[in-house]
Order: sequence, then C-alpha cells, then structure tokens
Amino acid sequence: MATTAVAAPSARVKAKQSKRFKIWIGFLFLLLIAGGYFIVERLVQGLPVTNLSSITPWGAWIAFYIFFVGLSAGSFLLSTLIYVFGMMEYERIGRMALFTAIVCMIVALTFVLMDLGRPERMLNAIIYWNVTSPLAWEVHFYLVYIALLTTELYIAMREDLVRLAGTASLKGKVAKWLTFKNSTITESTKKRDHKWMKILGTIGIPLAILGVHGGTGTIFAVVQARPSWNTGLFPVIFVVSAMVSGTALLLAMYIIKKKATKQKIDHGMVVSLAKMMVGFLFIDLGLQFYEYLVGVYGLEHHHLEGLGTMMGSAYSWSFWGVQMFLGAAIPIFLVFNKKTGTNVNALLTAAILIVIGIIGVRFNIVVPAQIVPLFEGLPAGDYFPTFNEWMVSVGIAAMGLLIYTFGEQLLPIEEIQSSEKTEG
Amino acid sequence: MLSNMLGSKNMTEKDWNNLLDTALPDVEKEMDASPFDTKLSFNMADDARKVINENLNIKDFHKKYHSKLLKEFGEEVGQDFASGADEPAQETDGVKWGMVIDLRKCVGCDTCTVSCKAENRTPPGISYNVVLEQEIGDFPNVAKVNLPRPCMQCEKPSCVQVCPTRATYKLKNGIVTIDNDRCIGCRYCIVACPYGARSFDFGESYEDEMPGYNDVTSPEYGIERGERKPGKTPIGTVRKCNFCLHRLERGEEPACVETCVGDARFFGDLNDPNSTVSKLSKSPRAFRLKSDLGNGPNVIYLK
Repeated sequence: MATTAVAAPSARVKAKQSKRFKIWIGFLFLLLIAGGYFIVERLVQGLPVTNLSSITPWGAWIAFYIFFVGLSAGSFLLSTLIYVFGMMEYERIGRMALFTAIVCMIVALTFVLMDLGRPERMLNAIIYWNVTSPLAWEVHFYLVYIALLTTELYIAMREDLVRLAGTASLKGKVAKWLTFKNSTITESTKKRDHKWMKILGTIGIPLAILGVHGGTGTIFAVVQARPSWNTGLFPVIFVVSAMVSGTALLLAMYIIKKKATKQKIDHGMVVSLAKMMVGFLFIDLGLQFYEYLVGVYGLEHHHLEGLGTMMGSAYSWSFWGVQMFLGAAIPIFLVFNKKTGTNVNALLTAAILIVIGIIGVRFNIVVPAQIVPLFEGLPAGDYFPTFNEWMVSVGIAAMGLLIYTFGEQLLPIEEIQSSEKTEG
Repeated sequence: MLSNMLGSKNMTEKDWNNLLDTALPDVEKEMDASPFDTKLSFNMADDARKVINENLNIKDFHKKYHSKLLKEFGEEVGQDFASGADEPAQETDGVKWGMVIDLRKCVGCDTCTVSCKAENRTPPGISYNVVLEQEIGDFPNVAKVNLPRPCMQCEKPSCVQVCPTRATYKLKNGIVTIDNDRCIGCRYCIVACPYGARSFDFGESYEDEMPGYNDVTSPEYGIERGERKPGKTPIGTVRKCNFCLHRLERGEEPACVETCVGDARFFGDLNDPNSTVSKLSKSPRAFRLKSDLGNGPNVIYLK
C-alpha cells in the first residue's frame, strides 16, 4: 500500500508540513510557558493555590497522575502484543507505544511532584522506604519500569539507529552517539535483539500489570477508611481501564500523526485497534458494574454514600456525562455503527472521547470518595480544581507532548523502512 | 435426655456434683498420666489463684517456682520465668498512654478544641481535636450527642502503614508521631486515617487577626522551631494530635484533659491495670470508634 503512494512529496507539501510543525511546536511552548507561570506560583506559594483541604487532600493532580500512569501501562501492554505475542499487524505503532509509555510516566511523576507538600524531599520515599506502604513500592516500581521501557525502546530502535548513524542529518548524529559507532546489523544481532525484546517484554508484563498499574490501584484499594476504594476488584479495574485508555490514545495519536504528515493510514489496523479498544471498554464496564452492584447490595452506609456522591450528587455530571456518555456510550455507538465503524474520522472521535472519558473515570475515583465525611458530624468535602490546578496540568501535559514531539524528531520512533517506501 | 432429667425432677446440689463428676475427667489421674509432676502442677495452680486474688505477689510466685520449673521443663521454658533475684524491673512494659472520654459528662463546650489550638498553636484549618455535635431523634424526643475526637493513637495505625517514608511512626509509649522533617507531604496518611485525625499544614496563619502569632510555635515533639515562616517545616507537611507529648514529658496532662470543664476526659497508662483509664476502659459503657476496622484505638469512650 505504501509503495503505491506518490513517488516523492513535492517541495510545497514539505514546506507546508514544516510550517504546520512550527505552529504545533509554538503552540505547545505557549502552553508550557503559560503553565510554567502557574507551576512557579505553586512552587513559591505552596498548596494554598489549590482547592485541596485536609478533608479532600487529593485532587486533580492525583487524578491526572493515575490517568497518565494508566496511559503508560496501557500503551506498554499494547506494545507487548507486538513484541511478546507476535501480533505483527500492529508493528507500526510498537515503538510509538513504548515511547508514549515512557513520556506518560515522566508526565505522571511530574504530577506527583507538583502534588507533594515538600517536593524537595521526594527522594525520602526511596531513602526511607517503608515496606508496608503501597506508595513507596510504587515509586520503586515506576523507576524500574522506566528503565525497562527505555532499554526496550533502545533495542527496538537499534537497527534503525545503526542505519541512521551514517546519515548527516540531526537524527543521524544522535544515532551515531547512541550506537557507540561500531554497531552492526547481522543475522545474529537480529536474533539477539528479538530475543531480548521478548525477554524484556515478558518481564514488563507482570511489572506493568501488578507493579505499575495494579499497584497504583492498590494505593487506593488498601485504604480501609474509604469503602468505595476498599475492594479487591479495584486494582483490576485500574489495569483494565489502563488498557482502554492506552489503546485509545495510541489509536488517536496514530491517526492524527498520519493525517498531519499526509501519510497513508493503515485502515485495517485502525479498525482492528478500535474493535480492541471497545473490547477492553466492555470488560471495564462489566467489572465496574459488579463493583457498584456489590457495593450497593452491601447496604453499608459509608459505601452507599460514596457511590451516591459519585452517581447522584452535584458531582454526578462527571460520572454520567463524562465517564458514561462521552467515554462509553458514544464511542461504542461510533465503533459498532455500520456507517461510522469504518470511517477513520469517526473512529478518531471515538478514541479521543474514550481518552477524555478515562480522565473522568480517574476524577470519579479520586474525588467523590473524599467528599463523604468519615463520620457523621464531620464536614463534607467540597472540591473543584482551581484555575491554577488546571493550568499546571495543562503545562505538564504540554511538556509531555513537547518531549514526545522532540523525541520523534531525534529518534527513529517511526519505522524508517515504511517511510522510505513512502518516499520511494 | 438431660433436659428430660432436668424437667422431671428437682436437682439437688449432690445431683449436680454427680453430673459434673461423670462429665469431667479426674484431674489427678490426668496429671499422673502426663509426663509432668502432679504435685507441682497442683501447687502452682493454687498459688496462681492466690496471685489473681492479689493474696500473693507475682514476684514471689516467680521466685518460688523458678528452680522447680527449670528442673521440670529445662532451660527453654524455665528461662522465661524470672528467678526474682535479678529482676529487670518492668523493662518490657512501659507506659502506654490512653484516654477515656465520658460522653455523659461532655457538655459540648469545645473547651478542649480551643485549649488544644492554644497549646499547639495550630494554624487556621487545623484542629487536632474537634467536637462533633449531632442532634438525634425527632422532636420532641431529641437529644444532642457530643463526640470529642482527638487522634485515637491506634494500636495498629493505618497512617503508619501507608506512610511511604516512615515519617509517621508509633512511639513505645503508644503515641503516633510525625517526623515533620522527613514528611514529604504526600497526604496518603490523611486519606488513610479512618478518624479524620490528620491535617495538612497549608501554611496559613492568624497573623492578620493576631499580631505576633508567627513569632512562637509550639514545641511539638519537644522540638523548638522558632518563628513560623513560609516554606519552613512544619508548613507543607502533615500534622496531628500527639497527646501533647511535650507536656507529658514534663509531667503534665494533655491540654484538652486539663481544661475539660465537665471532667469528661481521663488520661493515664493503659498498661497499668490499676490506673483510672484501665479501669474505666473495662466498664460496660466503654466502646471504641469504628472498632470493626481493627486499628485498635487507644482513645476509649464511655456511652
């Protein structure tokens, strides 16, 4: 399919693309600077710039933190479908998935850093590791996970790096530096790389499921004081919703990038990824159904109040509107409708809506459980992020997108072979 | 059959004893059959009863049987039984501070809250102690329930479990403390505490209403931190009630106990069976908040 494309993009198209790229970078920098102002404000003034309180101590930044950890775990697990389970039809997005996973982890950890009352003491969680604390375990898991992702991405890119090392472009220079000059590609290195991809991916699966994302769910699930978190199913839902959001994000990124650079879209892969995304969404909804059913059936006062806050209070727009309608009902319709199910634009909309829906899911996890008072007589929480919290979040997200965009400029994240073919 | 027997005739004491004799094994025979000394076991059981009835000192009891037990059970078991000669005077069980709050005496005046704020100089938004007031019942059968809530200083605190840095921990005397110089301010402990007893120090101050507020801070945990300034510990970390540890160390009761107008609060050593709190904690009126959670609060309420 790629070979049938136009022989070489004309200079006009290229100029247009580079202009578009500049606008994109400029836009991201603008967001980063705007967000940066509020990040500085937060660092100077401390947490009073947020709407957090001792009643609702965790807010938007924690929600975004678990959202990005979920995106990371989801993208990584998708990459294992390719490198461990050999589903080569998705190979096009393999490195993109790995690189996205790394960037999302960086973003997630930045959110945690913003949220700490004493960011300068962050290393204490490593120095004074409390082995009974899920949060301390998570910090360690995240670091190991990022190291593993980086190694895996390097191996996945190695052949292309070696190929690029000879060229004079910026990518070539970076490649030369990264390949230690003397690297070669032979049958044996191919075999070795393939083997290591499989090994690292296999180690990564339990690490991502149990350690990184299941573990992040565990941070919440072990809290006995908040019954709506305190269930065994909770970490499982975390992992499944990570798969949902990870698949949706990669699908959206793939389509947007191909559209922006006017490259051919692999239609078959898009449709199949969309089906997989909705498949994960169905499992997620099923698990949530049981979670809520068991919670309601227990008639435990505190648990009922937690669910009531989520589904039937001033906060319920986030559950019904964002999580259920935008994030589930519409995407399911778009994917299964005969007309829209094969339309790339409709599937792109579905993927973006699912990503937004999962943001809603994360907020609905974090906030409502902290609104319900721990005792009758204690004041109920009241939380909505301040302008500062939103802007800091925008700034951090822009930072992530910038890292991704520059990374793609410097590293062979996209398959070279296919792009070479496109360029004839 | 038994119910038949009970129903058909009035049982005399002799009948009861007969019933018992047939139902229970003969202790003497049982002990003879065992590899252990029958006489020793009987003597020890008698003396143990005396100890329970406070007719015999536990130390004398230990002294009396130390050598005999060594001979009977060998080093392993006998060692645990102090000889009495060089008794390490109650080294293992020190004090365990506990509080008893009599809800029938509490009038809901909030003196404890105010005196706590004054003693610990807590900033706006932080109250180590609060009094939850609730009206129960329908008019005209209404009652007001006041529930003072300090930190429960749990036996197995959730906050200590979840703290990623071990910045919050339990002292030997049972008080749950925070090392504010180590705390990273992640607020996981606030989320995990079932009693809502922890607060985050956002750095607010009463300086505007009360000039000089910032000049002096309370020497919490015995640490004199001087002036309260932005960015200076404990700002940005988590704070909580510590039973006024700095007062305890100089032999004073916690501020809330001392100032309670209705004398509703009692404070003392829960390890000492003769202390007021120990005795009150065994009252049938005694209960603990959210006892089903298994945290084991050391603040006990009397209903």
